[in-house]
Amino acid sequence: MSSEHDSQLLKGVLSLLLLHLISERESYGYELVQRLHQVGLTEILEGTVYPALARLEREGRVSARLVASNAGPARKYYRPTVAGRDALTAGTADWMSLAAVVGAQLARRLPAEPQEGA
Amino acid sequence: MQHTVTWFDRLRIERVVWTLDQRLYDLPRRTRIETRREVRQNLLAGARDVGTTQALRNLGGSAELANEYLSAAFGSRPRHSWMAAGLFFVTVPLLATSFFAGAANGFANGIIAARPAATGTYTWGGISHLQSTVTYTFINGHGTWNGGGFTPLFYILWIVATILVGRLWRALPAWRRRRAGVA
Repeated sequence: MSSEHDSQLLKGVLSLLLLHLISERESYGYELVQRLHQVGLTEILEGTVYPALARLEREGRVSARLVASNAGPARKYYRPTVAGRDALTAGTADWMSLAAVVGAQLARRLPAEPQEGA
Repeated sequence: MQHTVTWFDRLRIERVVWTLDQRLYDLPRRTRIETRREVRQNLLAGARDVGTTQALRNLGGSAELANEYLSAAFGSRPRHSWMAAGLFFVTVPLLATSFFAGAANGFANGIIAARPAATGTYTWGGISHLQSTVTYTFINGHGTWNGGGFTPLFYILWIVATILVGRLWRALPAWRRRRAGVA
């Protein structure tokens, strides 16, 4: 799937997505971008992801370690901290709740014309 | 398909990394070095994957990227700038020295214009409040001078203006956070 998504909407959930991805598997910056593209979020570019990782690290939600690479300099791999896992759980619950409410409203059948107000 | 990263590609990547670094001077030194390394490593990985041109394009402009990094470090609120403060701190005495020396020379030129063979000691109070008294000693129209330096008020204004230009009071919350983190 490769549809256009609202960039502001994506930016709002980027931290949550990153926390989820690194909770699945420890990853470095460029690899995370590739994984986001693989799930269909092709609009998210490197220039957005790397600072978001820096923010998560500053907030103590992820920790990083350098791992030697055969293909160049050492790579910085990220994994969630306990605080990061807690934030992921809370953020996922918030998102699901919001998505359920918004989804239910948007799924309602629309009349041909808006009804007149009282 | 894996792309080959040539020395020219590496130079292009280094140019972007160092341009970004120049915009991150307000970050602590260690964070800046780590950011540089990480961006370089990710760009190299991207260059091997999609080619250097595309990897650089995907990264976006260094100005926006630097802004994102600074927001990540300090939040999106208005922030301080060590760079602006440093530039102001260094530039002001250079300009002021030039201006003050020009003013003192103007005083000497005035004396020589009035009395080409002037002999004696002449005193000028300097630029009001900012410059100390300038004393010229002339012998047959040839003079030496001393004084004319910055007054204590100048130094105070210089420091206060540096703080204002760099909005350095905004650095205090980040400094307190770092200190609390270390403790």
